[in-house]
Amino acid sequence: MEQLFNIDFKNISSSSKKEALERRKNFELFLKTGLPNKKDENWKFSDLNSIISKNFKEITNYDDLRIDEEIELINDFDHNHIILINGVFKSCDISFEEKEKVKIDSLKSLEGLSNQSSNNLQNLNQALSLGGFNLEVQKDYKCKKPIIIYNYFNSNLENKIINNSNQIKLNQNSELILIEYNISEKCKFLKNTFEKIYMNKGSELKTFVIQKTKSNGYFYKNISGSQDYNSTYQKFILSSGLKFNKLEINMDLEKENASCYILSGLSLGKEEHQEIKTRINHMAPNCKSYQKIKNVLENDSKGVYQGKIFVKDNAQKTDAYQLSKALILDDKAEFNAKPELEIYADDVKCSHGSTSGSIDEDAIHYLMTRGIELPMAKKLLINGFINEIFENIPEEKLKKFLEKNIIEQVNAI
Amino acid sequence: MKSEELKNREYKYGFTTDIENFKAPKGLSEETIRFISKIKKEPQWMLDWRLKAFNRLKVLKEPNWQKPKYPKINYQDLYYYSAPKSMKDKPQSLDEVDPKLIETYNKLGIPLNEQKRLSGVAVDAVFDSVSVATTFKGELDKKGIIFCPISEAIQKHPDLVKKYLGSVIPISDHFFATLNSAVFTDGSFVYIPPNTRCPMELSTYFRINASETGQFERTLIIADKGSYVSYLEGCTAPMRDENQLHAANVELIALDDAEIKYSTVQNWYPGDKEGVGGIYNFVTKRGACRGKNSKISWTQVETGSAITWKYPSCILQGDNSVGEFYSIAITNNYQKADTGTKMIHLGKNTKSKIISKGISAGQADNTYRGLVDIGVKAKNSRNYTQCDSLLMGNKCGAHTVPYIKNKNSSSTVEHEATTSKINEDQLFYCNQRGLNQEEAVSLIVNGFCKEVLQQLPMEFAVEAQKLVSISLEGSVG
Repeated sequence: MEQLFNIDFKNISSSSKKEALERRKNFELFLKTGLPNKKDENWKFSDLNSIISKNFKEITNYDDLRIDEEIELINDFDHNHIILINGVFKSCDISFEEKEKVKIDSLKSLEGLSNQSSNNLQNLNQALSLGGFNLEVQKDYKCKKPIIIYNYFNSNLENKIINNSNQIKLNQNSELILIEYNISEKCKFLKNTFEKIYMNKGSELKTFVIQKTKSNGYFYKNISGSQDYNSTYQKFILSSGLKFNKLEINMDLEKENASCYILSGLSLGKEEHQEIKTRINHMAPNCKSYQKIKNVLENDSKGVYQGKIFVKDNAQKTDAYQLSKALILDDKAEFNAKPELEIYADDVKCSHGSTSGSIDEDAIHYLMTRGIELPMAKKLLINGFINEIFENIPEEKLKKFLEKNIIEQVNAI
Repeated sequence: MKSEELKNREYKYGFTTDIENFKAPKGLSEETIRFISKIKKEPQWMLDWRLKAFNRLKVLKEPNWQKPKYPKINYQDLYYYSAPKSMKDKPQSLDEVDPKLIETYNKLGIPLNEQKRLSGVAVDAVFDSVSVATTFKGELDKKGIIFCPISEAIQKHPDLVKKYLGSVIPISDHFFATLNSAVFTDGSFVYIPPNTRCPMELSTYFRINASETGQFERTLIIADKGSYVSYLEGCTAPMRDENQLHAANVELIALDDAEIKYSTVQNWYPGDKEGVGGIYNFVTKRGACRGKNSKISWTQVETGSAITWKYPSCILQGDNSVGEFYSIAITNNYQKADTGTKMIHLGKNTKSKIISKGISAGQADNTYRGLVDIGVKAKNSRNYTQCDSLLMGNKCGAHTVPYIKNKNSSSTVEHEATTSKINEDQLFYCNQRGLNQEEAVSLIVNGFCKEVLQQLPMEFAVEAQKLVSISLEGSVG
C-alpha cells in the first residue's frame, strides 16, 4: 500500500497544526489495512484493492490548484450552478433564488463530518481531503430552479487521487433539486467523496447524479444522512460511463413519516463496474422507503446491488420495498445482488424482489412481427426498461433532459 | 386459562435415559481420534483420513460471521465418543437390547419393534453414537440396497466409502465439517444400485442423550444411475442445562437420472423459556447432482435447537440437473436460526427452486441466508426463490440475506421475499368461527407453511404439522 500511494503532505494546506497532525494520523491508520478487499463483506462483490492495484502503478495526491477551465453549461433548462474543478470549489451562481435564502460556500473544516471509523476510505478521506462545498437552504424556502453541480475533471489528474467532503443541510419545510453533473477529460484518476445530508422537518431534497461522457474515473462516494418528520429524500443514480463506481448510501429515517426513494438506471459497457450499496434505517413508525435499481449489462461489465433495509422494533407500520432488475446482454457480463432485510418490528410491510436475465424473447418476437427490426426492437425494450424510473419526475424539462441522456447511452450499445 | 396451561407445558421429549455410558477420554486430541478409530475397528486408511482432518483442523478458525452469536465452545471439555455400555458387544436381536433404551424409543414413538411392519419404515436408530439396530434389512438386501451404519460400511464396503466419503464435503471444507471428519462416530450409509427404486422410506432417528457429548454423525447417501431414494431424518434431544454441540455432516451423491429426497424434522431441545441450555445445531449438508438429469431435494422443518445454523446445498454439476430446497424454520422464546441453502449451478439447463418460510415469536431471531450462483457455463439455467417471514410480536426479528450471482446472459434468476405479521382479518374470521386465539394462529401458520409441509412424506407431515403448533405455544396472548 505504501508503494502504491505516494503522498506529499507538504502540498495539503491545513488550517492548524492540530489538523496537520490529524491528517498524518489518519493516513497511517489507512495504511495499516489499506484499500478494502473482498474479504470485507461490504466489498465482497467489488474488490477495490485488486481493481486499483491492477490499474494504477502509483497514486499521488492532487496538488495543482491552478484552475482556469471554462465550462460549457447545460442550456436545456434554467438552473443555478456550482462549479467544482478537480474537486475544488471554484465558483457558484444562484441568481434565480432570493438572497440569503440559499447559502453556498466552500467547505474547509472537516470537523463534525461523519465518523465511520470502520470504513478505511474515511480515514483516507480525512487524511487528504481538499474540502468541497457546504450548501444550506433556509427555513420555508422552496428553491425556484434546480442547482447543478458541474464536477469537472481535467487531464492534470492522471494517476491522482482527489478526496472531497461535502455537506448539505435543508432547514424546515425547504425544498431543493440538486443535480450532480460529471464531466471529465481523458485521464485515469481516483475520487473518494464523503457527503453528509441533514434534512429537517418537512424538507424535500431531490438529487440526481449524471455522467456526461465516458470516463476513466474510479469513484467512491459515501452519503450518510438523517431525516426528520415528514421529510422526503429522493436519489436518482444515472452515472453510467465510469470505469468503477461505488455509491454507498446510509440513510436514517429518524422521525415519523419520513420517506426515502433511491432509483437507479444504469447501462454499463466495456470494462465498467458499478456498485450501489444502500442501508436504510427505519428508526421511527410510519416511514417509507422505496428502492428500484435497474441495470443493463453489456460486454464484460459488472453490476452490483447490495441493499439493506433495517427496521427497528418500534418502527411499526413501516413500508419498505426493494427491487433490483438486471438485463444481462452478454455472457461475459455479471450481475450480483444481495438484497437484505433485517426486521425487528412485526406490523410492517417489507418486501424485496430481484431478477436477472436476458431480454424477453416473446417481447422481441412481438415487436418484430410488427415490422420492427431486431436491433431497434432491442433498443426499444432496453429504453423502456430504464425509463421506468423517470415516471415520478414532475419537472418536464428535466425529465426530457434525462431521457435524452439515457437514449444516447442506449444508442451507444 | 388455556394459554396459561400451554405456557407451562414442558418440552415433551425432555427425559433422559439412565444407561451407563461408555466414553472416550475427554478432550480433542490425536489420542481421542485413535481411540474412536480403534473402538470402531477401523482400517488404517480411515484412521489416516481422520488424522489428516485433525491436522487441518489445527489451522482452521471457527467462523464468526453468522448472525446468532454464542459463547465460546471449549472443545477440550467435550466427550467425543459416548456409547451405552451394554452395546459394547453388539446385541444379536432386539431382545438383547437394554429395555430402557427400547422404552426411550417408545416414548419417542419410533416404530422399532412390532410397529415397524405397520408403518413400513426401516429405522437405523442412532442412540448417541452407535447404531442400535437396523430393521428391514432383509427386504433391502434383496434389492441390493445397502442401508447400514457408516462404521459397518467402512469395514464391509470400503471401496464405496473410499470413493465417495469427503467427495462432496472435503475434509478441509470449514471448521465444523473438518471437526466432524476427524471425530465422527457413526451415522448412516445408503447405497442404491443402478435402476433401483428404494421400496420404502429410509429413516434415522438421532438422539443426543449423554450430557457433555457432542454428536458428530456422518451420513453418506449414494444413488447410482437411474435410482430413487427418500430418506427421513428426525431428531429429539433430552433437556439439559448446558448447551450441547451437534456438528453432523451429510453428503448426498446423485448419479445420472438418479433422485434423492432428504427430509428432516429437527426438534432438538430448544432451551427453556429464559434461553438456558439447548442444542447448538451446526450441521453441514451438501448434495452433488453429479449425473445428467439427476435431482436432489431437501426438505426441512426446523423447530428445535437453541441455535440452528445450517445451509443444505446442491451442487448442480450434471446437465439438466435439478436442486430443490423447502424449509420451515420456527423460532420461539430465545431460539435463533440462521439457515438457508446454496444452489450452485455449473451444468447446462440446471434448475433450482427455493421455498423458505421463517416464523419468529418471543425474543427469537430468524435469518434466511442463501446463495444462488449461476456459473458462466450454466447456460439456460433457472432459479426461483421465495422466502417469506412471519413475525409475532415486536421483540423478535426476521432477516433475509440472499446472495445472488448471475454470470451468463441465457439464465434467469428470480427472487422475492416478504415480511409480515399474521393478518388480523384472517384471525378475526377464525375467531368468529369459534376457534380460540391459539387454534386460529396454529391454523394460519400451518397454512403459511403448507407449500413446504406438502413436500414431506405422509408419516412425517402429520408429525410436522403438530410440531408447528406445539412450537408456537405460548407465543400468542
